[in-house]
Amino acid sequence: MPLTVEQIRADIADCLGEDPADIAVDDDLVDHGLDSVRVMTLLEGWRREHSVTADFADLAERPAIEAWAPLLGAA
Amino acid sequence: MSGAAVLPLTAAQSGMWFAQALDPLSPAQNTAECLEIDGPLDPELFAAALRRVTAEAEALRVTVEDTPDGPRQRLAGEVEPPLAVRTDLSAEEAGAWMRADLAEPVDLAAGPLFGHALFRVGPDRWWWYQRVHHLAVDGYGHALLVRRTAEVYTALARGEEPAPGRFGRLSDLVEDDGRYRASPAFAADRAHWARVLGDRPDAPRLAGRGALPSRGVRRCRAHIGPETTERVRDLAARLRATWPDVLIAVQALCTARATARTDVVLGLPMMGRMGSAALRVPGMVMNVLPLRLTVAPRDTFAELVRQVALGVREVRRHQRYRYEDIRRDLGLLGENRGLVGPLVNVMPFDYAVDFAGVPARSRNLAAGPVEDLTVHIHDRADGGGLRVDHDGNPALYEDAGLAAHQERFLHLVERLAAADPHLPLAAHTAATPGESALVLDEFNRTARKVPPTTLIGPIEARAARTPEATALVFRDTELSYAELNTRANRLARHLQARGAGPGAVVGVSVPRSAELVVALLAVLKAGAAYLPLDPDYPERRLAYMLRDAAPVCAVADRAGRLPGDTGTDLVVLEGLDVSAYAGTDPARALTPAHPAYVIHTSGSTGRPKGVVVPHRAIDNRLRWMQHAYPLGAGDRVLQKTPSSFDVSVWEFFWPLREGATLVVAEPGGHKDPVYLSRLIREQSVTTCHFVPSMLQAFLSAKEAAGCRGALRRVFCSGEALPRESARSFARVLPGTELHNLYGPTEAAVDVTYHACDRSDGGPVPIGRPVWNTRLYVLDAALRPCPPGVPGELYLAGGQLADGYLGRPELTASRFVADPFGPPGSRMYRTGDLARWTGRGEVVYLGRTDDQVKLRGQRVELGEIEAALASRPGVDGACALVREDRLVGYVTGTADPAGVRAALARELPEHMVPAAVVALDAFPLSPNGKLDRRELPAPVFAGGAGGRPFASAREEALTRLFAEVLDVPGAGPDDAFFDLGGTSLLAVRLVARVREESGAELTVGSLFEAPTPAALAARLDADRPGAGDALGVLLPLRTEGDGTPLFAVHPAGGLSWCYAGLAARLGDDRPVYGLQARGLAGDDRLPGTLWEEAEDYVAQLRAVRPHGPYRLLGWSVGGVLAHTVAVLLQRAGEEVELLALLDAFPSEQWRGRPAPEEGDALTAVLRMAGVERTGERTREDVLATLRRAGSPLAGLPDRTLSRIVDIVPNHARMMREHEQGRYEGDMLFFTAAAPRAEEWLTREAWRPHVSGAIVNHDLECTHPELMRDRHLDEVAAVLTARLKELDA
Repeated sequence: MPLTVEQIRADIADCLGEDPADIAVDDDLVDHGLDSVRVMTLLEGWRREHSVTADFADLAERPAIEAWAPLLGAA
Repeated sequence: MSGAAVLPLTAAQSGMWFAQALDPLSPAQNTAECLEIDGPLDPELFAAALRRVTAEAEALRVTVEDTPDGPRQRLAGEVEPPLAVRTDLSAEEAGAWMRADLAEPVDLAAGPLFGHALFRVGPDRWWWYQRVHHLAVDGYGHALLVRRTAEVYTALARGEEPAPGRFGRLSDLVEDDGRYRASPAFAADRAHWARVLGDRPDAPRLAGRGALPSRGVRRCRAHIGPETTERVRDLAARLRATWPDVLIAVQALCTARATARTDVVLGLPMMGRMGSAALRVPGMVMNVLPLRLTVAPRDTFAELVRQVALGVREVRRHQRYRYEDIRRDLGLLGENRGLVGPLVNVMPFDYAVDFAGVPARSRNLAAGPVEDLTVHIHDRADGGGLRVDHDGNPALYEDAGLAAHQERFLHLVERLAAADPHLPLAAHTAATPGESALVLDEFNRTARKVPPTTLIGPIEARAARTPEATALVFRDTELSYAELNTRANRLARHLQARGAGPGAVVGVSVPRSAELVVALLAVLKAGAAYLPLDPDYPERRLAYMLRDAAPVCAVADRAGRLPGDTGTDLVVLEGLDVSAYAGTDPARALTPAHPAYVIHTSGSTGRPKGVVVPHRAIDNRLRWMQHAYPLGAGDRVLQKTPSSFDVSVWEFFWPLREGATLVVAEPGGHKDPVYLSRLIREQSVTTCHFVPSMLQAFLSAKEAAGCRGALRRVFCSGEALPRESARSFARVLPGTELHNLYGPTEAAVDVTYHACDRSDGGPVPIGRPVWNTRLYVLDAALRPCPPGVPGELYLAGGQLADGYLGRPELTASRFVADPFGPPGSRMYRTGDLARWTGRGEVVYLGRTDDQVKLRGQRVELGEIEAALASRPGVDGACALVREDRLVGYVTGTADPAGVRAALARELPEHMVPAAVVALDAFPLSPNGKLDRRELPAPVFAGGAGGRPFASAREEALTRLFAEVLDVPGAGPDDAFFDLGGTSLLAVRLVARVREESGAELTVGSLFEAPTPAALAARLDADRPGAGDALGVLLPLRTEGDGTPLFAVHPAGGLSWCYAGLAARLGDDRPVYGLQARGLAGDDRLPGTLWEEAEDYVAQLRAVRPHGPYRLLGWSVGGVLAHTVAVLLQRAGEEVELLALLDAFPSEQWRGRPAPEEGDALTAVLRMAGVERTGERTREDVLATLRRAGSPLAGLPDRTLSRIVDIVPNHARMMREHEQGRYEGDMLFFTAAAPRAEEWLTREAWRPHVSGAIVNHDLECTHPELMRDRHLDEVAAVLTARLKELDA
C-alpha cells in the first residue's frame, strides 16, 4: 500500500509525540525534534510496510514532509 | 593521472591526525566493517564496483602530510582500491586475516588509507571486509560506502549502468568547517560548553583511573534480542524519548553506581550530519560531546530518561563545537585528564542493503581508539535487535572486568525495560542477581555454632586446668595461672563489695604492669564491664570519660591517678589489702549478653563516645581467632597495646584462655622499636600486634631482624597496611606470618582477616569476614555493590557492639536495620569506603567522610600515600592537605625532592604533593596511631620558578618544559629528566621547540643541556648540538663532585638508555655513557671487544685520570664493562664497582648463530621499543623509526644505518671474545622473567670474577630492565651500594 502525505504526517507526529495538525508540510522537522535515530525508526517502518526504497541520506538531507513525499512514493 | 588537489584538514580530521601523530605506529584508528553476504557474488564485478566507488569517494583517495603550515590532505585523482580476494580460507582463518590486517598501522603520508578483502567462506557465502582509517571516514561514512557499493554492484550484475553517484566533495566539508569556525555560532557554542562544564565533576572512570589510549582495543560483544529491543522501544515511546535515550540513561545509571557519584558526564559520539551537505560525504565528521547528568537515587528512571532526552536535544544544538576544542578551553589538553566517562555510541546506520538481490548483514570489527570505555550500540535496521560492543582501553580493563561491566549494563537494560519506570533508581541494583548472591551470601558464609560463653569464663576454666603454667611475665615477675587467678579473685570480690556486677561499669586506670592485668580480670570476674582510662591521657579527657560512663567505681594504681572531682568512687591499689577475700572464682549472674568492656573512641564532633561491647561479641571474636591461629601452651603473646585501644583486648585475654603466656611490655615501651625487638627476642615472644605505622618503624630498626626464629606471627590492624610495609616485613622477618585484620571498635576488635603473601601486589586487602559476621559493600541506595565497585562498608552479625553508652540517637544513626539479615537484625555503618575483590576479600579504599578536595578535584589521600610508599627508600608515608596544599611525609632514606619528582611522573598534577617532607619518625598518638596534627608544616622554597627569567628564550623554554612534562611548577633550572622526562617526552619537547622557535635541537642536546636555562644558553650560542650526543663519551650528568659512574652502551652502541638511571642516582653523582665509535664520524668499527675496551679506557681516563673507578653495563655493555675493568686493573688502577645488568660472558654465546642483518634490524627496532612487523630492508626500518617518532629517528640516516652495522659487529666480537679475570666482587642484576635463551646463566661469570657475584633478581625481561619500575629497583640497589662506597 503506497504512503500518503497524511500517513507520513501522522507517522512523523507519532514519532515526535506531537499533534499532526501542528506539523506543516514545509516545516523543518529538526525544529520539531527530529533526529537521526527517529529518521531511521520511521524509515524502517516505512520500508517494512510500504516497500519504500529511499535511504537515510535522502530523508535526512531535507527533513520536511513536502520533500519526503515524492521520495516515499506519496507524490 | 595528475591533478592532485591539496586541502587543509577539517577540525574533525585534525583531531584524528593529532591522535595518530602521538603514536604513529598505532593501528588503533583503523575502523572496519565486515558484511556477510549469504548468496552468490562475482568477485570481478565486485572489484569493478569498488573501483567505481573509490573514484566517487574523495575521502578514500587522500594521503596526509605534515607541512610547515600544518597537516594537509592530498587528493589523488585515481587510486586502485586494494582488494584481496581469498577463496581458500575458512571463516576462522578469514577472521584471523582481518584481525591481522587491522593490527597493521597505516602510514598516512603513504596511503592508501583503506583496504578491502573478499572471502569466500563457504559455498555462496561471502564476507566483504572494509577497513578505513578514522581520519578519512567515520561510522556513518562506512555505511554510505557500503550502500553505494551494493547499489553499483547490483546495477553491474544486472548489466545496467549504475545510477549516477551522489557523493559530495571533500572540499565541501573543508569549506563548511571554515565557515562554522568563523561564524557567531562557533563563539556561542564555545560559551555554551564553558558554561555547562565550568563546574563539572571529575570524569567518572569505571576503572577508577585514566590512561592514554592503547594501540589496541579490548572488545566484549553482546546482543540485545529483538524482544528486549522492542520493549526498550516501547518504553522509550511511553516516555516520549528515543530508544538511545533509554540506553544512555541505563549507562548513566551504571556509571553512577560504579563510581559512587551522582553527577556524571558521559561522552556522546554524534554523527553531526542532519540537514547538512555532509550527509552525502563519506568522510570524517563525527564528534564526541559531553552529556552531563544527575543520577540521584530518589529520582525515577523515567525522570532520568527525560533528563537524557532534554540533555541530548541541548547537546545537539551545540554539536558542531569540537570535543578537542572543549578540552582545550577547559585546560584539559594534557595526557590523562579526562573530561567524560564512558562513551555511548549509538550508530543507527542504514545497512539495509543487498547485492543483486542477496541480502547482507553487517558487523562492526573496529570502531576506533578508546580512551576509557565506549559502549557501541549498532542498529543495523535489519530487525535483528541491537548489537552492543563494549570497547575498553586494555590499559584499564581486563577481559573479565570488561565483561562484568557489560553484563551489568545488559542486566539493567533487561530489568529497566520490564520494570515500572516510575520507581526510584534506588530500586535498581547495579549488581546482577548472580553478583548480588555472590556478595551477600557466598562471600558471607560464616555461620558457625559457638557455645554461649563469656570473655572471662574460659579464662577461669583454663586456670583450673593448668594452674602451674606461666600466665604472665612482667619485668622480673612471673605469675602462674593459679597465682594470677587468685589475685584477681580477691580484688573481684572487693569490687563486688563496691557495687560491681553484671551490667555495671568499673573504670581501670593502671599503667601497664601485672597489676593492670589483675585489675582487668577482677572487673570481669566481678561480672562488670571494664572502662579503660589510659593514664597517659590528659586529665580533662579522663574526667570527661568518667562522667560519660558513670562507673560504679574506678581502680587506680595510686591516689591522684584520676581526677578527683568527678564523684567516682576510687579503689586505689597502693596499700589496698584484699587478702581477707576468698581466692576462689566469685559468683555472678553474668550472661553473654552483658557488656564486657566500654571503650571510648573519638567522635567526629570531637566528643569521645563509649562503645559498649557485650561478652558474646568478644567471645566469638576470640574463639574465631583461636580457630584461625591456634595458640598453644608454648606460645608467648606480647601485651604492648594501651588498654584504651581495643586491640589490647585480644592481647590480654586470648593467651589466658588458651594456656599461653602473656608477656607484658614496659609502660611506654610500645613506642620504642629497639626495646620491643629486645623484649621479643629475650622473652621468646611468638605472637604480637603492630599498628602499621609502628610496624614500619619497628622494621626500620636494624634490631628487628633479631626477632627471626621466635616470632611466629604478627597481626596488623588499626590503619591501612601499605603493601610496601608487608614487603619489607617479608624481607626483615622472612619466616614470620603477617596477618592484616580490620575492624572498628563497634564490632569487637576485628571482623575481617587476610594473610599477607609476599608474592601478592596491589593494596593489601582487609580480607574476608570472621565467624558469624557479614560484610556488605553498599551503594548510596543501600544496594549491594558488585565486586570491584566501591561502596560503603557495613558490618552485621554477632560481633556488633550494643551501641554507644548513653547515646541512643547516635547509636540509632550508626547501627541501622540490616535489610539482608533476619528481621530485627542490625548492621553497623563504618564510614569506610571499600570494594569486594572477585575472590571474596574486601579492599579498604579510604573514608567516606575524610575526602579532600583540591582546586575542585577530588583527592584520595590513600592513593598519594601508596604512591609515596612505593618509592624506593621510603619506609612509611602519609599525606594531608595543609593550607590548600597537599603535603607528603615520608620516613626512610629517600631524597624527598626525588620522591616528589617521581610522583610528578606517575600522578596527575593535582595529586602531586606541593612538598614532600622527610621525617625521622612519624609522631604517634598515645595508642600508637599516627598523629597527623603533630606533623610539621613544610617550608616551601620560594616557589618553583625561584628566580626571574634571564631571557625571553629561557622563559619560553621553561613554559614548554612545563607543558610537555605537565609540571606547571617547572623552573629555569629544573632538569628535564629530574622532572620525569622520558625519551618519548624529549621527542615531544624537541618538536615543540622546533614548532615555536624554529630552533633545531636534537634529543641528545637535552642530555647535555637538561635545564631550560642551559638549553637557552645553547640555543643563544647557536650551537646546533647535533652529533654531540653521538660522541664516544656522553656526559649524562656532569654536576656533582662525587666519583663518576661510567656506563657502557648495549649492542646498538648508544648510551641514551642510561639517562633514566642517571636521573635516579641523585644530584651529586656524575654519570658518563660510553658509546660506540662510528655513530657520528667515519671511524671504522673495532675488530675485537678488547680493542673497543682499550678505547674506552682512554676515554674515561680523560674524565678521571685515576681510580677508583665505577663501571656499569647492560647487555653487551656488561661484557665491555668487565673488559674495561680488567684492563684498568692490569694498569694498576682500583675498580671499586662493577655492575652488570643482565649481561652474560662470551662463551655463553659462542657457537650460537650470530644474527644476520635481518636480526640486526630487529634489534634496532627493539631499541626503539618497536616490534618488527613487515620491515624487510634497512630502509623499511628507518621509515618505521621515523613514523614511530622514535628518538632514534631524530638521528641522521647515516647514523641509523651505522647502528645496523654496529649491532652485528658486536654480536660477532662477542662470540670471538676471550674473557679476562676481574679481581673483586661483581654486582649483578638478573632479568628473571622466563626467556627464550634459557641457557644464559650468570654462573658462567664465576671463572672470570675472583670475588662474589651479588645478584638481584628483577621480575622483568631483558629489555624491560631499563624501564621505569625496574629501573627504580636497579637504582635503589645501586644507590645503596654507591653510598657504602662513598662512606
